[in-house]
Amino acid sequence: MADTFDVVIIGGGPAGQAAALALALAGHGLAIAVIDEPPRPGGQILRQPPAPFAVSNWLPGRSYDGLKAQLARFEALEGISWLGGHSAIGLVREADGLVVQASGQDGLRRLVARRVLVAAGCQDLAVPLPGWTLPGVYAAGGIQAFIKSQQIVPGERVLLAGTHPLMLLIGAQIVAAGGTLAGVLFAQPRQTMIANALRHATAAAAHAGNLAAAASAMKVLAGAGVAVRFDTALTAAIGNSQVEGARTAAGDIACNAIGLCYGFVPQSTLPRMAGARVQTAGPAGGWATVADGWGQSSVPGLFVAGETTGVAGAPAAMAAGEMAGIGIAHSLGLIDASEAQHRAGPARRRHARLLGFARMLDAVADPTGYLPAPTPDTLACRCEDVDFATIDQAIATGGSANAVKLATRCGMGACQGRNCEPTLLRRMATAGRTDDTGFTQRFPARPVAIGDLAD
Amino acid sequence: MGMRIEADVTRGNAITIIVDGEALPAFAGETVATAMLAAGRQVFRADTGGKPRGLYCNMGTCSECLVTIVASGRRVRACLTEAVDGMEIATRG
Repeated sequence: MADTFDVVIIGGGPAGQAAALALALAGHGLAIAVIDEPPRPGGQILRQPPAPFAVSNWLPGRSYDGLKAQLARFEALEGISWLGGHSAIGLVREADGLVVQASGQDGLRRLVARRVLVAAGCQDLAVPLPGWTLPGVYAAGGIQAFIKSQQIVPGERVLLAGTHPLMLLIGAQIVAAGGTLAGVLFAQPRQTMIANALRHATAAAAHAGNLAAAASAMKVLAGAGVAVRFDTALTAAIGNSQVEGARTAAGDIACNAIGLCYGFVPQSTLPRMAGARVQTAGPAGGWATVADGWGQSSVPGLFVAGETTGVAGAPAAMAAGEMAGIGIAHSLGLIDASEAQHRAGPARRRHARLLGFARMLDAVADPTGYLPAPTPDTLACRCEDVDFATIDQAIATGGSANAVKLATRCGMGACQGRNCEPTLLRRMATAGRTDDTGFTQRFPARPVAIGDLAD
Repeated sequence: MGMRIEADVTRGNAITIIVDGEALPAFAGETVATAMLAAGRQVFRADTGGKPRGLYCNMGTCSECLVTIVASGRRVRACLTEAVDGMEIATRG
């Protein structure tokens, strides 16, 4: 089954919504499809509760207000084909346009579009440490998504550990949800965080609101008697068949869920699969797709926006999505160059300001030097059960990331290397090999039934 | 065990799903993962060494929560799959 659209947007988060809104404003009657994996739009930042749920006072706090207002505008937009519950598993440029393969409950759909925007967001950096494959160890963003959407706290005593200040917000949300925190552990010293923030003092001053949000989260945690520790590294998750505690620089801490929060990396599978040029992303690793000021990537017709171009947060993604929507409208001949410049002005100025804050946050949250040390039997690749001893041996033979993958199966599993690629590249960099371009990105980007491919 | 948040939340209709033969209470709209965690089932698969493995990213990226829908034989990510009344799930698949 083939569907033809003017524009296919991959990602229903802040960037994708903003692009759709800007496009709808520029051209009536455009055929626009928006694809995302959850049933409802919002992205991870506004991962919505299921439709049968009613949640009063959902995601309180000023930092969510602008995002929620945009989501409401997007949901009210008419004429958009919303393809919730669909995974974009392939992206390729063919003679008749850009082709997106979308996998849903009823099989595959082939979407052909004149323009594609990848606004696929980011993922938590996967952080291997001894015991991290025990049930109960989560990406911190996964815990937060349970609270935002499913209205569940996945554990009776949750420990958050890492280097990213988002832990404060997630911790406060756990407390507000009635959950119990075993602690919030920053691996880096408090003075280091402050010094790194001060290096970006202008950005800090311009974004006092975000700092106030962090301070208010600290207050919630203090009020609940939660210990926020600095200079306290998590070294292992302990337990037999599930997490029973955490080994830390301050001793063992009893908990039955651990959220790892060391930063975020762009979802880069689809642009890389399509052949778009990428560059190394922020200090957490990963690949940022290179784009011009309109989000146009190196592949004609393929646009990117938001975290896909480097993790900078939801408000920045919203601004970038708007710029990309306007850029796409211009590239389709719907508006002329001066009109595009005019329309994009406010979003462009907002974006530049927000990037300043994002770089400050990058510096404060920088996990470099604070990542836990794996042991030889710690799994680097969770899908194929490949341990560090095995990848170290393969790295020592001098091969590329692709060669290590072939030799060890690291990166060959269901996650397509999304978890282990940053790990492997860090390990190779430690061995002096800093120029590797990572795994070749292959179809399908998400697991899909063989039967669906045969149909 | 996962704790359903009670304050400010009204859920969908009560439903039941069956995981490895055990009936688990759930609410319409919940994911299979939520129904499992709320029932204290943290194990979504076993790895090649037979060790229990849990859900990790909860956003469709890592595939650690792949389970099998018995009726269709489809392997699906429990974190993205909506629980449907009477749905039968196998974690060994």
